[in-house]
Amino acid sequence: MSNASAEIFDRGYRAYEGPRTGIGTAMRSVGVSTVQRALGLRRKFRFKIVPLLTVAVAYLPAIGFLAVAILLPTDLAGQVVPEYAGYFGLINILMVLLAAFVVPEVMGSDRKTGMFGLYLASPLTRWHYLISKFVAIIMVMSLVTMLPVIFQMVGYSFLEIGPDGFVEILKTLGRIIASGFILSIFFGLFGMAASTFTDRQLFASAAIVILIVASEAFTSTLVDQANAPDWIRIFGLLTMPANLIARVFDETGVDAVRIDGLSDLGSLGVWLGFCGAFVGLITFGYRRLEVTK
Amino acid sequence: MGVGRAGSGWDPGKPSWVSQDCSGTVVLVNTATTERTSSPSAVISAVAVSKSWGSHQVFSDVTADVLPGVTGLLGSNGAGKTTLLGMLLALHAPDSGTLSVLGSDPATAGPELRMHIGYAPEHHNLPNDVAAQDLVRHIALVHGLPKREATTRSSDALWLVGLGEERARPVGTMSTGQRQRVKLAQAIAHGPKLILLDEPTDGLDPVQRDDMLALIRRIGTEFGIHVLLSSHLLEEVERIADNVVILSNGTVRASGRIDDLRTGQGGMTAILDSGVEHVAASLQRSGYAVTIERNTVRVGTNEPLEQLADALRDAIAENAAPLRRMEPVKQTLEDLFLDEVYGS
Repeated sequence: MSNASAEIFDRGYRAYEGPRTGIGTAMRSVGVSTVQRALGLRRKFRFKIVPLLTVAVAYLPAIGFLAVAILLPTDLAGQVVPEYAGYFGLINILMVLLAAFVVPEVMGSDRKTGMFGLYLASPLTRWHYLISKFVAIIMVMSLVTMLPVIFQMVGYSFLEIGPDGFVEILKTLGRIIASGFILSIFFGLFGMAASTFTDRQLFASAAIVILIVASEAFTSTLVDQANAPDWIRIFGLLTMPANLIARVFDETGVDAVRIDGLSDLGSLGVWLGFCGAFVGLITFGYRRLEVTK
Repeated sequence: MGVGRAGSGWDPGKPSWVSQDCSGTVVLVNTATTERTSSPSAVISAVAVSKSWGSHQVFSDVTADVLPGVTGLLGSNGAGKTTLLGMLLALHAPDSGTLSVLGSDPATAGPELRMHIGYAPEHHNLPNDVAAQDLVRHIALVHGLPKREATTRSSDALWLVGLGEERARPVGTMSTGQRQRVKLAQAIAHGPKLILLDEPTDGLDPVQRDDMLALIRRIGTEFGIHVLLSSHLLEEVERIADNVVILSNGTVRASGRIDDLRTGQGGMTAILDSGVEHVAASLQRSGYAVTIERNTVRVGTNEPLEQLADALRDAIAENAAPLRRMEPVKQTLEDLFLDEVYGS
């Protein structure tokens, strides 16, 4: 007679009576899944191209500037390498890529694949879902808007051409983070709003690019050719956030995208107005969505 | 008791339905007093629920109970089955009336309630490039399962539905039958108390359909999960469901245990060795509708069973007819459906 004992570890499917985490965990799960989808993680290579290219292009200038700063003497380097507000000019363009090609993918695919209905059949509401998506999109965009510039600032500081002293470092860091949020929130909401009304990624991408190009062309023509007041340029979808960033960094140089005839508060108000309009469109669109079909 | 006609189709002139309690005793249910209240044992209760989309009235004053076990939600296309599922998930609010799901009002307990409900939608769309296990695990996490539980339970659920070996495959590479199983797995992985399945056999071939129905039946009986199965196929509901709710033209035409509903509709039959005509004549004199087929006499349609049984027994005794068997007529679900939806 053997004394050997056996224990079954795999009991198969059974009822679950254990604890359940709350809405926060559900939202985090949607957020993590969105970040993975946006960056093409656990997906085929073709889905990784745009996000990885965008992130790479965002960091290349910072690496280049630091290389130049390392090679040149400190005094000369401080005059040659660009300041932080100038870097956001490049990032502004990269944001268009993310808004046009990544945001429609993570928003439209949930509706196209029925995941949106499955989410709403869970403890999540439409608003939980949208907030999760928004936070995830902002996190992905922050990889491009904030981290390269913070990387640049840290590098400059080590090379002694960055902000001088703890307070100055904090002040510059605060400006970089604020500017990063200005771009991420604006383009994140813009992309979400454009993706709300179509499940087709191509249509949303085209709409975003056309609206940006058309708004810039239209406002520039009005100001430059028809002698319209300079503040009209605030309706250019690239110029408007760039104007606010120039004010955050208090840039007044010739290269600064600063719109005359508009106060700092007015610039912030217009940015808030645009963001509010995008939120309104998203809310309107998602309120009408049928989910059990 | 959850058996009875319901909704605006209620006619006080019609007799009550017959049901059977747990001890097997046949009892008459006074539906006139029970119809407007919900049963305490009901998994889902609707009382006087109305819903319209714009000018289109989807439901009008619907009252019904869904009892524990597997329940078929029957109705033709466009009868409002999917809208009802949406209301049970608190995705749409009824215009009037009250709903109760697992003892809670979806309107106030929506997120908390949905944590305990699984849902498999009708459509076959799922993210093509996501592995089945990742999808099922993700939905389990969204329903509040801790990470470790979500991982093990998603694997268990996929094994249960027969996709254990295929769990790492992207959903886009799977057949329609396998996708239906993935939908079922994601509905049960988080350990719900109730699952709502919208046309779960849609697009399946006969063999796949049999397998899926057997699986649903197993889930409803072995694991204590109540199942509400929306379908327009009578035969599949009859095969696996304990209960049925029949929807038509915005009303619940019948709801309750299938056996009870089938038993209460067709009257009584008696198989006699002789004297069939005499027994029939006695019953006709008493005012009952009677049909004769060879040595079988069938009496009544809508009268209460007890009354019919008494009348038939008396007629047989009066004529001293040798009796072989006497029993209530059992209709098929198709008879019942056609009778409820088109017949009356």
